[in-house]
Amino acid sequence: MDKHRKLLAVWEHYLTTEIAIEFKSCLYFFAILFFYCVYQILMGSTQASILHMAEMIFLTYVMGYVQVYLMSNFDEGEVLRGREMVCVGLCSLVYAGISVLGGWFGKTVWISVLFFGYVVFLYICVFLVYKAKRKIDDKIMNDNLRAFQARRTEHAKCD
Amino acid sequence: MKYKVERITEGEDEVILRYCRMTPEVERIWKFLYGGQAKLMGWKEKTHVVLDVDKILYFESVDGKTYAYTEEDVYAMDVTLNKLEEILHAINYFRCSKSMIINIDKVQSLKSLPSNRIDSVMCNGEHIMISRTYASDFRKRLKGGRNDG
Repeated sequence: MDKHRKLLAVWEHYLTTEIAIEFKSCLYFFAILFFYCVYQILMGSTQASILHMAEMIFLTYVMGYVQVYLMSNFDEGEVLRGREMVCVGLCSLVYAGISVLGGWFGKTVWISVLFFGYVVFLYICVFLVYKAKRKIDDKIMNDNLRAFQARRTEHAKCD
Repeated sequence: MKYKVERITEGEDEVILRYCRMTPEVERIWKFLYGGQAKLMGWKEKTHVVLDVDKILYFESVDGKTYAYTEEDVYAMDVTLNKLEEILHAINYFRCSKSMIINIDKVQSLKSLPSNRIDSVMCNGEHIMISRTYASDFRKRLKGGRNDG
């Protein structure tokens, strides 16, 4: 029974992590796609390359795994200090580097530099969103705790 | 609630309390069986001490030994953490990690942490981590559900 519970816990943990990576990949993909589409529109084009989009989604998946398994999920961290900022810089550099290699923004390097800044900004936004989400979660959890304790006090009074 | 009284001619007297949900009525009977308030036996400097379950903040297993922590003291217990979980699961206690069981009534505040963990601050200011394996059950328990698994 205990072994079954442990296996279930491991499975649940694996599934939760995978879902978190999927979610993260989609989030970053759409943000990057937005930048790409704005660039295309500004360049007078209304078309997006399927190959570029495939590269983007594949890259965000890989980066999702790297972030979760190798970089302690830094964008969901409690603080954004030295170590986390290095991770933000490294990941943004990889995105910008691949954008140059893949030719997402043509041959203009300064767009890739701008893209690097955009990804840094994106990471900071995601960090703040997760932080805000946890703050809301804190409030709900503490309200539930107070309600739980009040219910028990009521029962004790009945006794 | 159904009652069943059975007279036996040999063996030890026994009361079995079977329940689906820990309703106030069931809890009253449970407490009555424990003499009004649930008690446990602990050890303090080779002396047996009767512990009031409501006064305990948490139980911890360290190197195979189980300890009960109140606001003032620490007591060694004769029972394992699994056995305590079995006994106390019906009331306000919750298994929060492999090695700990906390008294929810003694939790002052909760903080959501990354990776779905929860930091619980006890009424004496101690911080106890609710691991991600147990965090979702803990949330359910607070919402009024009972994890009977």
